[in-house]
Amino acid sequence: MSDWASYHLQDFIPFTADIYFRLLERMGEAFWPLHLLMLALGATALFLALKNRTRLACLLLVPPWTFVAVAFFMQRYAELNWAGGYIGWAFLAQAALLLSIAFVHRGPAQLPRYTSPPVMAGIAIALFGLAGLPLLAPLGGHSWYGAEVFGIHPDPTAIATLGAVLIALRGPARWLAAIIPALWLLLSGLTHTALR
Amino acid sequence: MKNRLTRRQLLQLTGAGLAAAALPRSLLAESTALLAKPIPGSDEKLPVIGMGTWRTFNVGNDPQLLDARTRVMQAFFRQGGGLVDCSPMYGSAADTIGYALKRLGIPESLLSAEKVWSPAGGSTREQVAELAGRWGVQGFDLMQIHNLTDWREHLAALREMKAAGEIRHIGITTSHGRRHWEFEQIMASEDIDFAQLTYNITHREAEDRLLPLAREKGIAVIANRPYDGGSLIKGLKRSGEKVPEWATEECGCRTWADFLLKFIVSHPAISCAIPATTRVEHMNENMRAGRAPLPSTSTRQRMARFIESL
Repeated sequence: MSDWASYHLQDFIPFTADIYFRLLERMGEAFWPLHLLMLALGATALFLALKNRTRLACLLLVPPWTFVAVAFFMQRYAELNWAGGYIGWAFLAQAALLLSIAFVHRGPAQLPRYTSPPVMAGIAIALFGLAGLPLLAPLGGHSWYGAEVFGIHPDPTAIATLGAVLIALRGPARWLAAIIPALWLLLSGLTHTALR
Repeated sequence: MKNRLTRRQLLQLTGAGLAAAALPRSLLAESTALLAKPIPGSDEKLPVIGMGTWRTFNVGNDPQLLDARTRVMQAFFRQGGGLVDCSPMYGSAADTIGYALKRLGIPESLLSAEKVWSPAGGSTREQVAELAGRWGVQGFDLMQIHNLTDWREHLAALREMKAAGEIRHIGITTSHGRRHWEFEQIMASEDIDFAQLTYNITHREAEDRLLPLAREKGIAVIANRPYDGGSLIKGLKRSGEKVPEWATEECGCRTWADFLLKFIVSHPAISCAIPATTRVEHMNENMRAGRAPLPSTSTRQRMARFIESL
């Protein structure tokens, strides 16, 4: 048996569940009421995406990605996991990508059709990221400070962005803008699995 | 002061006496002191339950969790705990230990165990000095080579440090049953004091060669992953399975922590096990497992068969 075969998913997560959930809570404690501003940015970005104002929608997503990169990953998560700094850089790269799209992308010629499957999926995903996910922690018995909020915590930021990207972008730009959010959500899912 | 017993007191005493008579003999013989085993080649004794810190002590600079881990360490030392094991691979765990030791003071019973790791590149002394600063100690009792990385270079440097009295013991580590062949070669050919390896009731590969070799060479053995990363004890607790009565009667096992840890530390070659926990109540459970009585050889075999049957 090779050494690698002896590793489990848990061996790559260097903290326990209580430490991770406490990190989420500390973000809430440290930055409340910034949550309200971030949620307003997210909701406005979703509204603009639906109104075919792609460039402005992408521009509004830049501050949340930048904030999560620095405040969550580089300043806090990196204390627990050496990979945190690198993930922070990936989030900054996503912010730069959204900024580039805001400046160069022309957007779809027509308004998004609400009945098209990608747009319907995008609306559902974005609403879950903005309004559904923050309720999970309080419903699960954690404090309101532990609520994961768009622009403060990485999961809702990635989910809401994926939804907005599905609505606002087409072709290669959609796929390009979805890579980092999707990769983070995969990593986050594995982390939560290992912490069970 | 009145010495006469009231009717109620008399009934209570009678009840207590009857209850004691009904208890298994092994429980009555149970000691409150943590068992300790001699460290080969020295006059020291090592308490059989130590403390691991992988995942559990990597809390960053969160004051709430730093205080919580301080309480865990306090419970450990209050019950006679000795060996605390850490590694530079464990994130901020060394800083958390340093935070706790600053508040608790450095107990006499502490046996500080750290690790050096790759890349060596002449950095062994610097690594040890940096870790000592994070712990807030003058030096370490035991310095181990993490997962055999750059072991030749580290070992040479650690020997010099031991000769100069900067560290007291030298060890090597592995986990998950990795690189046992190379581990065995080092145990057989090099002068080391401690070997840390994975040994628990479901991972007993070390029984074949490494543990007999440790006894032959007079090497103390630290068993890591006693709960197999937590999955073993969580699985038993979630299954609803009860600790078998024969284990309670024969070696005082009342909890799964007792069952799993007593199995490990009763192996004659094992010096101590190092469970890790985030909670004081679990620490208390772990420490209780280090008290007499321990299972006999035949009971150990029965314990292993029982777990295999689940």
